[in-house]
Amino acid sequence: MGVPTAPVVTQRFLELVKTISYKKGMPKQRFTFVPHPVAGRPPEVCNQFVRSKDPVTGKAIVEELVAALTAPLTAEEKKTGFMLRPPQPRLLEPDTPTNRARLFEKNGWTDGIPVILPTEARVAEMLKGTSHEPNEIVGTMRPSPPHEAWEFTVEMVAANAVMAGAKPEYLPVILALASTGVTSLFSSTTSFARMAVANGPIIEQINMSGGLGALGPFSPANATIGRAWTLVSKNLGGGGTLGETYLGSQGSNLNYNNLCFAEKEDRLPSGWKPFHVQKGYKPGESVISTFTGWSIIHSGGFTTQHKEIIKRSMMPFASGRAQVTLLLDPIVAHDLKDYQEFGTKEQLSEWLMKNAGTPALQYWGSHREELQKAKAGVEPYASWLKYPEGSYVPVSSFKPETPIEIIVVGGETNPFFLVGDFRHVSSASVDKWR
Amino acid sequence: MKTPACRAWAGVFLAFTLLAGFGAAAEEDMISILNPRGTPPPIRLVPMAPRLDTLDGKTIYVVNIGFGDTFLPEVRNVLAEKYPKADWVFKRKAGSYFDDDPKLWAEIKEKGNAMIMGVGH
Repeated sequence: MGVPTAPVVTQRFLELVKTISYKKGMPKQRFTFVPHPVAGRPPEVCNQFVRSKDPVTGKAIVEELVAALTAPLTAEEKKTGFMLRPPQPRLLEPDTPTNRARLFEKNGWTDGIPVILPTEARVAEMLKGTSHEPNEIVGTMRPSPPHEAWEFTVEMVAANAVMAGAKPEYLPVILALASTGVTSLFSSTTSFARMAVANGPIIEQINMSGGLGALGPFSPANATIGRAWTLVSKNLGGGGTLGETYLGSQGSNLNYNNLCFAEKEDRLPSGWKPFHVQKGYKPGESVISTFTGWSIIHSGGFTTQHKEIIKRSMMPFASGRAQVTLLLDPIVAHDLKDYQEFGTKEQLSEWLMKNAGTPALQYWGSHREELQKAKAGVEPYASWLKYPEGSYVPVSSFKPETPIEIIVVGGETNPFFLVGDFRHVSSASVDKWR
Repeated sequence: MKTPACRAWAGVFLAFTLLAGFGAAAEEDMISILNPRGTPPPIRLVPMAPRLDTLDGKTIYVVNIGFGDTFLPEVRNVLAEKYPKADWVFKRKAGSYFDDDPKLWAEIKEKGNAMIMGVGH
């Protein structure tokens, strides 16, 4: 923009902003740091912060800001051209397995659990799972939009698939996941989770599970494909470095295998389409779909009247971004079809979106104009404002562009279901990577 | 109760065990493994904008990108108190923290001489 700028940053983001300014080509950006957090602090506290010293440099904040705008530029700050990155050799220096395992752990190339070391022989074996050339570019991935995107090849994905313990026949699914460019470790202070759902013939071909215990630690395909996504996101997507490219305050346990499972297509009620068909693919195509969200809750009841229970269960997610994905056990799906006449997933989704209310607290927080009307006695707002604490305002926050998604999964031992604040991000052809 | 003889035999046993262990480690085969890392793009260096020789008579924008409403106004207030010869303008960037605001950037480029921007929360 050509205007001298002094960025002022809360101390907690020191590593992040230094890393980003380096990657954006301004490695000497003149930052001033202040105590963290400042959001939600009263003005008098903030005033004292401004009059205090930078907790990183120890200099007075005001003087540091002024110097950032007025001190003449150094030769380094005026530099143009390109900066060399450390070379990335295809092979690491030969060493013992013990030492290499230590290196992987020390460098943060694992998910904290021991990995299978990607020897040339193992990677060559893995590559038998695809017809694509090892040096073909699969795509790029970044931890979040401000970060740079890293590029990677088929062989690099295969190396990470080996590390995850995957079998060669799983590789097309992992390549398809990687090709979406969607990281499983999104860089945000909120701790994002991800979900990966497989559809089509690949489910049976590689024994992915959509049945009993599908979301548990049982199916090697579910477990290792989901795990590979996180290793790919760290090692090929440039993510997962704490403080720099990962900032989720509490982290998400779901990132260990990213809720990876198959839809139980053979137990869908008649008229209910598999998820990939809903998204425009043919039933005979194999597809992996990615979802983003944060959490899941378990709910249900011994009844055939599920829609009201589902509606109530998803209420905590019915505000703000208003995104919900339902993972219905086949029993629940069939009950909804047989007893509550939802002939398609879309009908159920539309009914829920129309009838879901918004928690009153969130509604009034984001509808200031309506709040003023309510206080002035304008109906129906005035009546809604009188609802007891914890009530829901009968206004749906859901928008057509983020429909409630429905996946059928489970082993039919209970009429239960899972509700998550997830939305569909992308779907990719697995067949393309065979 | 351990006798000195017992302790001596225990020491010999331990020494053999450790030596055997070191031997096994030394015999571990060397392996070649693939680098599991992707390729970062080259970095194009961007020169920083020339600085001001003085703040006097200049218009400085203080921009809040969207985290909290109290901190950046105080930055503006304290600077205005300490540097009254400059014109300190507080602005809240449109949208959430990840939304662009080209209108504001155009305004700053046209009317401003410098900017302080708050990042983080």
